[in-house]
Amino acid sequence: MTTSPDANELVLNMGPQHPSTHGVLRIVLKLDGERVKSTECIIGYLHRGVEKIAENRTYVQFAPYVDRMDYLAAVSNGLGYCLAVEKLMNSVAPPRAQAVRVILTELNRIASHLLWLGTHALDIGAITPLFYTLREREEVLKIFENYCGARLTTHAFRIGGLQYELYEGFEQQVNAFCDQFPAKVDEYEELLGGNRIWRERLRGVGVLDAATCKRYGVTGPMLRAAGVPWDLRKAQPYSGYEQYEFEVPTRSSGDTLDRYFVRLDEMRQSVRIVRQAVANIPTGPIMAKIAKVIKPPVGEAYVSIEAPKGELGYFIVSDGSTHPYRLRVRPPSFVNLQALDHMAKGALVADVVAIIGTIDIVLGEVDR
Amino acid sequence: MKQFLRRFLLLDLLEGLWVTFRHQDTRLITTEQYPSQRPAVSERYRGAPRLNNHPETNETLCISCNLCAVACPENLIVVGSVRNAETKRKDLVTFTYDLSRCMFCGLCEDACPVDALELTQDFEIASYTREGLIWDRQALEEGPRPTQYRQ
Amino acid sequence: MATVPWDGAIPELLREHLGAAVLDTHLYVDQPFAVLTLAAMLPALELLHAEADFDYLVDITAVDYPKRECRFDLVYIVYSHSRNQRVRLKAQVPANQKPLSAVPIFLGANWLEREVFDMFGIEFAGHPNLTRILMPDEWSGFPLRKDYGIIQMDNTWVKNNLGIESGQ
Ligand code: SF4
Ligand code: SF4
Repeated sequence: MTTSPDANELVLNMGPQHPSTHGVLRIVLKLDGERVKSTECIIGYLHRGVEKIAENRTYVQFAPYVDRMDYLAAVSNGLGYCLAVEKLMNSVAPPRAQAVRVILTELNRIASHLLWLGTHALDIGAITPLFYTLREREEVLKIFENYCGARLTTHAFRIGGLQYELYEGFEQQVNAFCDQFPAKVDEYEELLGGNRIWRERLRGVGVLDAATCKRYGVTGPMLRAAGVPWDLRKAQPYSGYEQYEFEVPTRSSGDTLDRYFVRLDEMRQSVRIVRQAVANIPTGPIMAKIAKVIKPPVGEAYVSIEAPKGELGYFIVSDGSTHPYRLRVRPPSFVNLQALDHMAKGALVADVVAIIGTIDIVLGEVDR
Repeated sequence: MKQFLRRFLLLDLLEGLWVTFRHQDTRLITTEQYPSQRPAVSERYRGAPRLNNHPETNETLCISCNLCAVACPENLIVVGSVRNAETKRKDLVTFTYDLSRCMFCGLCEDACPVDALELTQDFEIASYTREGLIWDRQALEEGPRPTQYRQ
Repeated sequence: MATVPWDGAIPELLREHLGAAVLDTHLYVDQPFAVLTLAAMLPALELLHAEADFDYLVDITAVDYPKRECRFDLVYIVYSHSRNQRVRLKAQVPANQKPLSAVPIFLGANWLEREVFDMFGIEFAGHPNLTRILMPDEWSGFPLRKDYGIIQMDNTWVKNNLGIESGQ
């Protein structure tokens, strides 16, 4: 903590080891009393050079690394990567694989939002929800573990389809989860959304309107909370999302409370999608007919999906060899985090914690 | 008026407290008592590696094809073999597997044509030293030795 | 797969306003891209933003081709919410020319350009705060260039800041 030449300005260093920065994010806050005058994010503590690693691995070998970017949504990362390489090779996964991919990614969205909800509530001061959300998340992780053998960094999909057939009892386990989960979401609402302290604490905090969202390139629940019903699953469907009926939840005011409601509604919609998908998983092969050695033709493609945090894109340049010539990841957290400065300006110090939580960042993805 | 009464009687807070109270029921406990109670990991779990021997002859199944080493993104498998003059095949001599760099992605397991290399259900692989995580052929064949905890 | 010509309102608009600066407009795997000269890049972004409602800058990135005369390709991806269309703009960066910063049009370009600078060493003229973003400030070298080895590092930095001989 230092005072700058301007006697009224206080420079406060928050992080990188701060429990509510959700990882190793460092923020330099310039304060005037309790009010934030400006923020500066210092990131890169978790930089591993994923894009450089990609250039030195084959397409198949790189797949496990994408799980380690947004490690709370490893399945989504894997889906985006596989779709991007498949696009370059001009192949599509068979319908059965697509349906399983949708089920697992939507379950992953639920798991990611659950962890967000628990930690966000913890930041604000409500400890109990974390226990409940982790309990439900555990059910999802068990499904992942049964399906592919890992809970967090799943490496569930392969380029061209799936590696593993469904295990015995998959449908029952997923259905059992879908049956009990909506009631749990209502329970969270009862605990938090109906709670006066929670509402008053979050209303009007970190407002980001639609126009500002677009100027910053903010996507995902943050954009939808500002009233823009934009979701890549609807706008540019991939992996067979056009077959499923679901709504894109939106709110209007774009504050922290609205983002909370949007994410809760998204979990409910995800359950809806999972139910539809699991009810009729097509039979057939799980792997497209692709060459054993993956060598996409020379060219480049950008493919993006709606990850739990926003638009996750992969831009791959192929030179016709087995290694990507250049692989760029467009991380949603990185771009969304930029809006922090706008949201935190003029807010109270205590609100900064709420604002960081509401962006829902994963530093593994911000820094890559 | 209704709103006011609700607020005055703290009903919204009590509702939340009621949720927490409902969870006092001991049947709802989901905590696992690890390590005294071992978790049931799934069949496909990707944990500590094992090099399988033939169940009857007890000879290694590995044919030293090196495919696992090639498939591994981290290049952490080293297969050492000598050419057998009689059978014209390669015989496995050494096999090292550096667990400290492994990310348990399962690509090596998928690549193995004879199911010699397998990622097992054991997950207790911590070691006090870095060297302790570099497993040689013997350690891989014996397989992981899970710690037994006494009551 | 081959590229197919891309016609429609957007390439027409680009050609009408920028003329010969538009070198190529094609589709590859159904994805439209336009190749421009570097000088025309910012006008093109401005044009798309103002006239065609491309209101969301998805990404800025670069690709390194060390053997080429103009070493870097700069890639911009923009999206229009109303058209539901994504367009990629590419330009080669000549050695003596600095691209202009897109921050005045899209605020989100700020960090993206910093990252390109950090990883490739491409400087953007007019950027409000062009410093390293992911790597430490004093680091020398640009990691995503092709001539930067995967285990290469700035040994002086490592020695000074971590107190060890080398990170390997
Ligand atoms: S699990 Fe993955 S990282 Fe580990 S040895 Fe096998 S291929 Fe390599
Ligand atoms: S792939 Fe299997 S058989 Fe081949 S060297 Fe590895 S363990 Fe042995």
